Amino acid sequence: MMWRRRLIIAGPSLAGLAANLLIGLTQLDNRIIYLRSDVGTFVLFWGVFFSLIVWGVFKLQKLADRMSLKILFEAREDRRRFLRRLDHELKNPLTAILAGLANLSISEHQPTNGRHLSKERRNTIKSVEQQVQRLSTLVGDLRKLADLEIRHMEFSSVNLTEVIEEAYSVAKTLNGAENRNWSYSIPRAPWPLPVIWGDRDLLFLAFHNLLDNAVKFTRPGDMIELRAFEDNQMVFIEVADSGLGIPDQEIPHIWEELYRGEAARSIPGSGLGLSLVAAIIKRHNGQVSISTRNRQGTKFTIKMPIKEGGRK
Amino acid sequence: MIDKPNILLVDDESAITDNLAPFLERSGITVTVAANGEQALKVIEENTPDLIVTDILMPVMDGRELLRRLRQKENWIPIIMLTQVGEPSERVMALEEGADDYLNKPFDPHELVARIRAVIRRSQPGRPTLAASWRLTSQSLALDRRARRVYRDAREIYLTPKALLLLEYLMTHPDELVTRERLLDVVWGWDYPIGTRAVDTRIAELRRSLEDDASDPTYIETVSGMGYRFISEVKVIA
Repeated sequence: MMWRRRLIIAGPSLAGLAANLLIGLTQLDNRIIYLRSDVGTFVLFWGVFFSLIVWGVFKLQKLADRMSLKILFEAREDRRRFLRRLDHELKNPLTAILAGLANLSISEHQPTNGRHLSKERRNTIKSVEQQVQRLSTLVGDLRKLADLEIRHMEFSSVNLTEVIEEAYSVAKTLNGAENRNWSYSIPRAPWPLPVIWGDRDLLFLAFHNLLDNAVKFTRPGDMIELRAFEDNQMVFIEVADSGLGIPDQEIPHIWEELYRGEAARSIPGSGLGLSLVAAIIKRHNGQVSISTRNRQGTKFTIKMPIKEGGRK
Repeated sequence: MIDKPNILLVDDESAITDNLAPFLERSGITVTVAANGEQALKVIEENTPDLIVTDILMPVMDGRELLRRLRQKENWIPIIMLTQVGEPSERVMALEEGADDYLNKPFDPHELVARIRAVIRRSQPGRPTLAASWRLTSQSLALDRRARRVYRDAREIYLTPKALLLLEYLMTHPDELVTRERLLDVVWGWDYPIGTRAVDTRIAELRRSLEDDASDPTYIETVSGMGYRFISEVKVIA
């Protein structure tokens, strides 16, 4: 299919080339032809010619894009498959270990031949149990992320103002939130934020994760601002803080699963918060971006398309 | 109520059955082990257990096929299926095809004991369990699980798919404290810390549709700080 099209396109050039060679070789009547044209036609000709060239360049670019997209897509697909396999291979051993530990700790409460396990051994069992739980949670979390990228979504109309307000009020109850300097701005005039098409629970989770991060990576007295606004096609939600900021070399990695920056090491967290935000916003055909300066602060911007007819 | 329930544990992974069976025995449950669905069917022919706990992926005959064959033969032994996190199709399949409950691997073994006891307490030997029935009713409420429709006083009420899933789970597990984490898992296939709020929102939505007063509920009772309980008696519509 591809080759036939190429031949059709190249046909006239090939015919010309063949005629040129033939004329050159035989020295046959190779005279110069003068074409006369009025300026209008001349200009039109070059215009059309350039259009064709530009069209060709675009066409090539699209082809290249499609190829790189395909590579990207395959890489993601690979990772998803890997997460599935990892989870699948780990779930049985983890289940067996948890059962074994439960068995050990229950047998200690029912002493056979009259002796209890020592306190030390009991503590050991407890501690191993906690670590296995941690491992199970980690595997489960990665699996959730993979699931989020492919799961079937049931979208409905979402009242953004309501979700944002809820996320904001929950954030203010977080640990440490009481001594941050909060500010909140959501348009009410001339009209409120539009309705968007999405999953309310997931959007809430995304906003919550950004606000939760803002609280975690600021110090007492720092400012945290939540803003939302819109233009004709998009609605923007910004979470900004005057906190620790992120060093340049860490910025490319912050969306990666389990990545934790230097500053984050001493702060509890799963290392999945931002990956979840990115996955959720992507499923809503939106984008999320960051601008940050080390030691000055960070701003996350979520950009999402407005539902058609969402402005009433 | 059976004092010492007799269960059949079906899993091809001996590391699991070797560790889980003694734990369940110590918790006061008699356990028989089978390595796949086919072996399980043989065991059931000889001696009917009070409940089956089965894995899904197994060689020879998987858990799904086991569940189907039993229900086709109108065998209503309660079944708990061991599913995978983030595999919504497994969970939905298990609940739709008449499993009584499910648990995501890896699970807390104490949780399994609690679930075994809850399911056995609800079941009546020889009769289809609520989970294995397509049409349920409770006072003026009727739920058609296959058609995904809900009626109140014979008038249809419209629920979002998520609210319907919640109602279905609550109605098939009446008189049981269902935690918010559990309900979140039912709706989402996984839970996350802040997500329990989403469950509260859904329940509020469900109550509005059912015209159920939260302070004096007919159907769904709030168990403060824990979860919810379906308090009205549920019957099977023949």
